[in-house]
Amino acid sequence: MSIIEVKKTSFSYGHQRVLENIDLTVNEGEIFCLFGPNGCGKTTLIQCLLGILRPSAGTIKLRSRDIRNMKTVEIARELAYIPQIHEKPFPYKVIDVVLMGRVSYTGLFSLPKKEDRKTAEEALEMVGMLEFRDKPYTQISGGETQLVMVARALTQKTPVLIMDEPTAHLDFRNELTFLETIVRLVRDTKITVVMATHFPNHAFYFENSSTKSQVALMNDRMFYAQGTPDDVLTELNMYNIFNIKSKLISHEWEGESFKQIFPIRTYG
Amino acid sequence: MTIGEVVSVLGVKAGFPGFDSLPIHVNVVWDIRFPRAILGAFVGGSLAVSGAAFQGLFRNPLVSSGVLGVSAGAGFGASMAIILFGGDTFLVYVFAFCFGILAVVLSYVIGTNYTSTPTIMLVLGGVVVSSIFSSLVSLLKYIADPYEQLPSIVFWLMGSMASARFRDIAISAIPMWVGMAGLVAMRWRLNILSMDDREAQALGVNIIFVKGLAILFATLATAGAVCVSGIIGWVGLVVPHMGRMLVGNDNTILVPTCLSIGAGYLILVDNVARTLTGSEIPLGILTSIIGAPFFVYLLKKTKGRGW
Repeated sequence: MSIIEVKKTSFSYGHQRVLENIDLTVNEGEIFCLFGPNGCGKTTLIQCLLGILRPSAGTIKLRSRDIRNMKTVEIARELAYIPQIHEKPFPYKVIDVVLMGRVSYTGLFSLPKKEDRKTAEEALEMVGMLEFRDKPYTQISGGETQLVMVARALTQKTPVLIMDEPTAHLDFRNELTFLETIVRLVRDTKITVVMATHFPNHAFYFENSSTKSQVALMNDRMFYAQGTPDDVLTELNMYNIFNIKSKLISHEWEGESFKQIFPIRTYG
Repeated sequence: MTIGEVVSVLGVKAGFPGFDSLPIHVNVVWDIRFPRAILGAFVGGSLAVSGAAFQGLFRNPLVSSGVLGVSAGAGFGASMAIILFGGDTFLVYVFAFCFGILAVVLSYVIGTNYTSTPTIMLVLGGVVVSSIFSSLVSLLKYIADPYEQLPSIVFWLMGSMASARFRDIAISAIPMWVGMAGLVAMRWRLNILSMDDREAQALGVNIIFVKGLAILFATLATAGAVCVSGIIGWVGLVVPHMGRMLVGNDNTILVPTCLSIGAGYLILVDNVARTLTGSEIPLGILTSIIGAPFFVYLLKKTKGRGW
């Protein structure tokens, strides 16, 4: 079943076209990767999905409802957002940050209730961060911060998580921890994920772990190709979009097959 | 006067039988000291709470309640009323209040582009507006009558609660209460407003409306305070920091804490201002002289880790 439907959507900043005729369908329970070079419009598309930017043409539907007819608080109950990097204005406790995910269920002049606190603790447990509950979140690492952001998104109890290059600032291990967490969440909770990324191997990681996944290869305001990681992330497409020589390899290990594409060199 | 005599006055006023006191004592305690203490509590609470709210809103622990120009605007309004109407206290209040609000409206208009109000633009709007109103105050000082009006303007700008009577409290308490109550009621939203605008919106907060509402409440509280007390610096900066160091940064606890500390702090400083020397020292001078070094002490003691 489709959960997000984007039809013929365009967006411009003033006279500058940033998105051109985008069509995409995200199905329930899958990971949808937005992949493409810097400045191709991934972040703009994500902000259109979140209702932060208004497309100049086309329609975006969340579970068959046109996003233009939805209030901010209604969108926040369908889509939760995990930013690329989170700025920490004050040393709030981890639990207080996660609790903020409950704001769309709380009145303007109300405080979060006991149940909200419980929801927040459950979310922290799901990402394996419960022990950090009362730590000031300025004292945790970048990788841990991203997991806290996931926990905050989970407390919104949305069917969809939207992430904008969530691993861009993480180290080797933390990146893997993050991906593992996402795969586990998709498997256990049937949540749907839309994720912008710079790494084609993220999509292969999802495919290798047999999670239903799609990739949209974006280039210069448009979708160049769309389909399974296998169909889209080919050596030819890498050459066409990035002008690089790359090699797709497959490796068998303990009865499982792992696919990766690795870059070899750029063409002048 | 002894403590017993003070208690008797309060007993008489509260209508308890068996209390008796001299009219002069009633006058001093009930008509002069008591309203002044109450006003001090309101003003201190207002400045502290709105300072904490603005710090959250601007994601910056360095801003205070005057960041959007409310103090500068109020100073101009008061100076103008002193020159035009010879310092009728009621008109001074009204002018100070209205121009305080006007200054914030101007800052807000300057800081708004298209449909959003980026933090940095608001701060710059506040800087510009404050600077314009300060210059206008200088202009008014320059043209004011140097024997009557100029001293009044200067004393008003230094801040004092010496004029406090129940009538004054009744007028200015309304905006202060609305502002403080509003901020206390929406204090959890202040946590979310301190997040990046996009994140806050994705969390489900209508940024324009909620931010505007927080600014409105903080401005009502500050303008209400400044119009009766004149410009009292540092309370809106130092008190929120004391709060942060005591109870942390979660606004659900911080805002009520600031309310209490602010109220107590200003009553205390006002008492020092009255009793330190033979004649009264303007309150605004003392809050800065005490507040600034105390702030340094707090920063050193916590090594800046309080925020």
